[in-house]
Amino acid sequence: MSTESKGILTDVTKCIGCNECTKACVKNYNLPETPPYTQETGDGLSAYRYTSIIRVSANRFVRKQCRHCLEPACASACIVGALHKTPEGAVHYDESKCIGCRYCMLACPYGIPRYEWHTATPYVRKCSMCYERISEGKIPHCVEACPKEATIFGTREELLEIAKERLDENPRLYLQHIDGEKDVGGTSVLYVSDVPLDFIGWKKEMGTKPLPALTWGALSKVPGLALGVGAVMGGTYWIIERRNKLMNTNKRGEDDHE
Amino acid sequence: MNRRDVVKAILWSFVGATAVIAFVRFTKGLGAVTALTDTTPWGIWVAFDVMAGVALAAGGFVVAACVYIFHLEKYKPIVRPAVLTAFLGYGAVIAGLMFDLGLPWRIWHATIYWQHHSVLFEVAWCVMLYFHVLALEFAPVVLEHSVFQRPLFQRIYRILKKATIPLVILGIVLSTLHQSSLGSLFLIVPFRLHALWYSPLLPLLFFVSAIGLGLMMVTLESLISAWLFQHPVHKDLLSGLGKAASYVLCTYFLIRVGDLYQRGQLGFLLEGSWQSAVFVIEILISTVIPAVLLMKRKWRENTALLTTAAVLTVSGMIMYRIDVGLVAIARVPGMAYFPAWTEIVVSLGIVSGAGLIFIFCAEHLALFDPTHMPEIKANPYAKPVFDPVSKTWLGDRPQQIVRPVSLAFVLAVAVTAAVLPTKATSEYERPPTPVQGAVGWDVLRIDGNRMLEYTLFPHADHIKLFTEKYGEREGCVRCHHMSKPKDGPTSCWECHSDMYLPTSIFNHDRHRDRLGGTESCVQCHPAGDSKQTDTVRKCDWCHKDMFQNQESGTFNYIAPSYIRAMHGTCTPCHMEQATEVNREDLANCATCHTESAYPKGRPMLSENVDRAIPLKWYPQSLSEF
Repeated sequence: MSTESKGILTDVTKCIGCNECTKACVKNYNLPETPPYTQETGDGLSAYRYTSIIRVSANRFVRKQCRHCLEPACASACIVGALHKTPEGAVHYDESKCIGCRYCMLACPYGIPRYEWHTATPYVRKCSMCYERISEGKIPHCVEACPKEATIFGTREELLEIAKERLDENPRLYLQHIDGEKDVGGTSVLYVSDVPLDFIGWKKEMGTKPLPALTWGALSKVPGLALGVGAVMGGTYWIIERRNKLMNTNKRGEDDHE
Repeated sequence: MNRRDVVKAILWSFVGATAVIAFVRFTKGLGAVTALTDTTPWGIWVAFDVMAGVALAAGGFVVAACVYIFHLEKYKPIVRPAVLTAFLGYGAVIAGLMFDLGLPWRIWHATIYWQHHSVLFEVAWCVMLYFHVLALEFAPVVLEHSVFQRPLFQRIYRILKKATIPLVILGIVLSTLHQSSLGSLFLIVPFRLHALWYSPLLPLLFFVSAIGLGLMMVTLESLISAWLFQHPVHKDLLSGLGKAASYVLCTYFLIRVGDLYQRGQLGFLLEGSWQSAVFVIEILISTVIPAVLLMKRKWRENTALLTTAAVLTVSGMIMYRIDVGLVAIARVPGMAYFPAWTEIVVSLGIVSGAGLIFIFCAEHLALFDPTHMPEIKANPYAKPVFDPVSKTWLGDRPQQIVRPVSLAFVLAVAVTAAVLPTKATSEYERPPTPVQGAVGWDVLRIDGNRMLEYTLFPHADHIKLFTEKYGEREGCVRCHHMSKPKDGPTSCWECHSDMYLPTSIFNHDRHRDRLGGTESCVQCHPAGDSKQTDTVRKCDWCHKDMFQNQESGTFNYIAPSYIRAMHGTCTPCHMEQATEVNREDLANCATCHTESAYPKGRPMLSENVDRAIPLKWYPQSLSEF
């Protein structure tokens, strides 16, 4: 990972739940103010909301968005490579390649990608970390809009430093864990919090192993398996064929198969 | 009509229904005809048509391997139907994909945008190549037809015949790869797939089960053909297939259970959860019962028992695919998936289309072993049915078939178009607010903001009050049928117009709390009256000395809400000052809603704002008034 790889750090203790980030996202991506109902999953994200605020208790709000994993399961799953991790840190979605298989939606450990179910030409939608903006050196709209600096932007290393400082400075407030530092191989979107964030993924403990390794373990054996099976089948055919021929030398010349 | 025509009519009606749904699906999107959601991106079209379809087609490569590679010439009579079944199975898979892919016209993207880390990429290539291999394997049967007498076709026929062995080997390689890879697809969801199904051995389990399923699918297909075309069953052959299948199923069982034991997940079976029940049912019908039924030769040669075993294995292994792809996948709570009927009809319609092509091939090509077919007592004096020279049908036979079959098709189209769900025909609307009825609908739970925070609505009390006040019919109409679209009920606020607007002079919540919570309503709102400002007791009911100089009842209770009042007072000046004195933060929410509120665990409410007016200025209790 290059040192230029950017990320977002969200400090749950600072968020006041004002939804300015969501509003900025909605405004700048021309999303509908009142989105058509799209079978919401309860976390506020949909094909029309790339980030949302989840109220976890009376005064604790967690901003949900794409985690931009360092080794994204969605990119590994994508059949045409429409999703890929850019050097800037964003997991970018190229909609001109997408065929709409939705394997990324299944594969994502955080359940982030959403689908446009109610159009005849649907695409996958998720936070892009404002890829166009960050490649120009600007900061994402949501970060810009945050009035509390509860969500900040920078290189991932800087953000990890800041996160560690905050945990050290205020150890009684924060849970001593930077969410995203190592989870599923590390993510570019990090969280520090005083409430457990285990609800944000599919399982409470998702480990530190990147998911793409799981399928690659099986997939990397494919060429060998293909050659092996081909050789065994060819060999078996040849041996039995030869044995039959030797047994019935008189019957040679007959049509062998069919 | 003979039984074949009845079957054809049924199959055509499913195809007709599918055609209607296809139109909706391609003009309105997936949401209009499926129950798919963001938490269930893959539904029955993937789990059944694609995953189970590929597995059902496994018979093709298994039988081809037996006959051509292992030289078990005995099974030659069933090669052709098995290869055709496989070809049509893959055809059904591709048809299912055309429905399921969001942008199916881009399916060719997989051939130019290579992403070799994706299991799906490998599956796509294997399926695509194997579909063509099967087409070439089956092509000689087509070319044997009298239509293809030209030398060119005969040359192709001879080339294909010579290529049989390489094609068969290629087919076996491709099948091995993608049958197992369909399992590998789910290796990437360790957190979503239930531990009873998730295993690093998924590829192996899918491959072994595909062989068992393939053998039993060929058996079932032979039994159905025998019934449909009224020719005798190949008992000897099917018994042999059954024997092989029982070994494969036992192996599969051992791997499956051994894997569970080795991963220490056997405990889940005793958990008593619905997943454990599904697992037990699946393993019983897919493996255990058929394996037992296929043990003894005597049982295998009993058509009824063999049919039972074949049906059980086929449905059980389909269930395995559906479990892995759909049932055992974790979802967001409250977002359960059950396929829409339109999804089920399309699934059946695709299979029906494949079935119709199979019947067509069986009728027009030399699909079955001619030596085994019952001799057709041909009437040499009968008029020919079809004249190949002028290509015309003679006599009344075609009409006899065509009439009921096309009637079934047209009827199915009409019925489907008539009963399509409203979301398929109208513009998509926000569905009604989630309302959960309590027992007897006395109290409804209404989630107006869809935040999973329910308001208790005493429906029974409202009915009672309204019927007493306005009569039985008029009472209901106060809330229902009040010129609302689709007869939607009236929202709470339309009557309780100011219920939750704490004004700058009247704090409803504070009054309620001071007077003893929710039981205190009647102290201000006389029992039996609607809870509104115009029926409530006026302030001077309690505060005797409050409006000494005002006439009671002239007070305007409807005022801006507290939030609007406060923001209206503070923020314009803050905004102004932010630019004037160049202090941006003045205009930020966080300036007033400060961090200091947090350690004490207080929400972002007006009470927690760092006030310009000290808290002591606010009355702390009623006695201070």
